[in-house]
Amino acid sequence: MTEAVTTEPIVREVRIEARPETVFEFFTDPAKLTRWLCAAATVDPRPGGVCHQTHEAEGGPYHMRGEFVEVAPPTRVVFTWGFTNPDASVAPGASTVEVTLEPDGAGTLLRLVHRDLPEAAIESHTGGWTRLLAELAEVAR
Amino acid sequence: MQQAVEAIADPRRREILRLVRARELTAGAIASHFADVSRPAISQHLRVLREAGLLSERREGTRRLYRARPEGLGGVREFVAQLWDERLDALRIEAEREERKRENDRGRDN
Repeated sequence: MTEAVTTEPIVREVRIEARPETVFEFFTDPAKLTRWLCAAATVDPRPGGVCHQTHEAEGGPYHMRGEFVEVAPPTRVVFTWGFTNPDASVAPGASTVEVTLEPDGAGTLLRLVHRDLPEAAIESHTGGWTRLLAELAEVAR
Repeated sequence: MQQAVEAIADPRRREILRLVRARELTAGAIASHFADVSRPAISQHLRVLREAGLLSERREGTRRLYRARPEGLGGVREFVAQLWDERLDALRIEAEREERKRENDRGRDN
């Protein structure tokens, strides 16, 4: 039985003392992606192009298989995000990451929005996992 | 629903999750941490944790390896938010390093 309730997007902003042109390449150049995000990457940075990443973890790698939706250097890049691993909670294409780069003096204001993540782990023999988390959250308040 | 609450209510099961939070272990290796718990009882605990979605099992040949699911009770969103916090910090460091390198290169060319 599968239950999926999507959550509010994750929004993060970070100021980087580098120009947008410099920052943008860290999302589309595999040699640069591996310096901060993943262990290996294969990318075709245009709409519909592949965005594949390998993330290392205990017990083996997680395979991120996404696709670029928008590529507008040096301002905006959007790609889908999800994993092919059977124990991962987010399937390929299920969620979307939007990155916007705004010049800020000599630097960049980066804004990342990650949408459509599911509320909870999906496969559960009992079901009701989503309700449980909601109830626990109530108790914790 | 009660199943997941009961899964973490047991202190031994909480201890099992702690053992495999950062590394994978076989059932035997997990059992060896508990002097007073039988192997079948450990298997039962592992089954309860798996059915509650807190533990994942991976097979490697004849071995079964267990580890805590990274999302745990916090949920996917919290896990991914933390992931981005860490990764974006790394991005900032690398991008700033790259920018300084380019400035230095430009300076040398002048």
